[in-house]
Amino acid sequence: MTTASPSRILIVDDEEIIRIGCQRILEDSNMVVDQAENGRAGWEMIQKAPYDMVLLDLMMPEMGGLEVLDEVQKYDHRIIPIIITGFATIETAVDAMRKGAYDYLPKPFSPDELRTKVNRGLEKRWLMMQAEQLREERDRNLLELTNEKSRTMTLINCMREGLIATNRPGHIVLMNPAAQHMLRLNREKAIGSGVSGLFGNAELEKQIAASLETVTRTTTVTHMEFKTSDERVLHSSTSPIVDDQGDALGTVTILIDVTEDKKVEQMKSDFVSLVSHELKSPVAAIAGYLNLIIDGLTGGNPDKEREIIVRSRDKADGLLMLINDLLDMSRAERRGASKVMTPLDVVPLLKETVQFYQNEAKAKSITLMLTAAETLADILGNSDDLSRLFANLISNAIKYTLENGKVEVSACVRESQVEISVSDTGIGMSREDLGKIFGEFFRAKNALARKITGTGLGLAICRRIVEDHHGHITVQSELDKGSTFHVTFPVHKNN
Amino acid sequence: MDELKRVLLVDDDPDFIDINRIILEAVNYQVDEAHSVPEALQKLNDFRYDVLVLDLMMEDRDSGFILAYAVRSDERLRHIPILMLTSAEEKTGFSFQFSQDQEWMKVDDFAAKPLKPAELVARIEKLLERNASQ
Repeated sequence: MTTASPSRILIVDDEEIIRIGCQRILEDSNMVVDQAENGRAGWEMIQKAPYDMVLLDLMMPEMGGLEVLDEVQKYDHRIIPIIITGFATIETAVDAMRKGAYDYLPKPFSPDELRTKVNRGLEKRWLMMQAEQLREERDRNLLELTNEKSRTMTLINCMREGLIATNRPGHIVLMNPAAQHMLRLNREKAIGSGVSGLFGNAELEKQIAASLETVTRTTTVTHMEFKTSDERVLHSSTSPIVDDQGDALGTVTILIDVTEDKKVEQMKSDFVSLVSHELKSPVAAIAGYLNLIIDGLTGGNPDKEREIIVRSRDKADGLLMLINDLLDMSRAERRGASKVMTPLDVVPLLKETVQFYQNEAKAKSITLMLTAAETLADILGNSDDLSRLFANLISNAIKYTLENGKVEVSACVRESQVEISVSDTGIGMSREDLGKIFGEFFRAKNALARKITGTGLGLAICRRIVEDHHGHITVQSELDKGSTFHVTFPVHKNN
Repeated sequence: MDELKRVLLVDDDPDFIDINRIILEAVNYQVDEAHSVPEALQKLNDFRYDVLVLDLMMEDRDSGFILAYAVRSDERLRHIPILMLTSAEEKTGFSFQFSQDQEWMKVDDFAAKPLKPAELVARIEKLLERNASQ
């Protein structure tokens, strides 16, 4: 028996000689022993200190042994009661045992008898305590297990990816809400049913079935992409669930909705082919012009040759412009971290830009003017991007305005928005073109516009910059009358 | 002296018109230009051309075909040989195998832009010869 602290025993008997005798014997066995001279005193002591065992005389004044036994049973069932009796009859013994006594000692008893019965009782108590501890531990583990299981289920149910598990015969045993949503299936109905014909997608069903058949020790994952009936693209990867013996227990399939990724991919490749085309045209033109000179088709006319060389140079300049615009655009694309947004007033930026373009305007006898208060409410912005935006709008206006025309820039605050307008008396655009001008590489079709160089990216860049600043850009235009671009930005609230 | 052969160049890219004009004028063609389908149809109506050089993609990606079809459908124009130029295979998704597409494309020759000067001249000459021998 391995108890860290000595056992505590209470002897309740009205015969002093018994009490003292028992105490001595038990103290010799390293036990802590207290005594009480009647039932009531004993019962009170039991309630004050923890005892492992109580030795109870049956016949006592004030409170009898059976009465105390009763109370002890109710009070703490782990205290082992042993009855001491002077009337060693079978009846009294049976009665006491029925009432919950662990054992009984008929008086007179020898020290050995006492020691044996006490030790056995203590051993019983120790076993009882051990069993109780194990039971508690088991209960605690079970609780943890339940928690763990529900935690795992919560994780699976919250996954953005769809998860489907099947058993060996290919029946669905688990399907999370994401999978249910992606496949537009009723989960309750799906669980327990066979895969075949369930998903409305033969490829996925085949993938799962194949995964069950091709089990090897090195687990193989199969990937594929498929289209759903409502035109979304799902990526699925299925692997067999294999036990220690290498036998398939079922399959687990992860579904990821890649519809948006596919769209972005498509946009990217569309853009690349668009850019390639825009890059190829001027390069092909330059090559064409150079061939004329190389093949001597200019007839040695130096004026003609010079004209061809100038045209080639202009094409090369156009290419350079285009590449710069592309770089600008990729810079406008880089959102967030690398972009510093600070509260700023647009008026100084507008002034600077208008000043910068005065010479260009004068060269075409165009009046370029700015109408704005000295200061306006701040907006949250990136000054490089905004300079670029204003430069694009103003240079566009000058470019598409004929000689002696007018370009007016204005800025004001209206309804918590900073509003900037760039208005020209230029060639304008048709209603049809208006909807497209903020797209990449769009250039208005206009006999006059054909002679004006441009990359078709300027306004696309403007749109991106404005959107980055949570603003709006709109345009009003009338063919041969002019265009007005409106840009609005939310006013920055300091607190 | 023979009358000069008259060519109509149809392309919305002014550079290619200019380049091809210089090439063809150097070998004694009379060169006219049109920048759109309606402009080309107008010129075809007003003048007599010996050969038509047109770009597949003008304002719309199939304008070249539309023009070729219009020419072939017109009793007075259908004899004019057509050289179709294109730089846009990847964008239209059409394949440009002459033998396969000739029937419905209704043109006489296909070439990818840019065409070297000597090649352009050779192709036009071949079309004219073929037409003359018919």
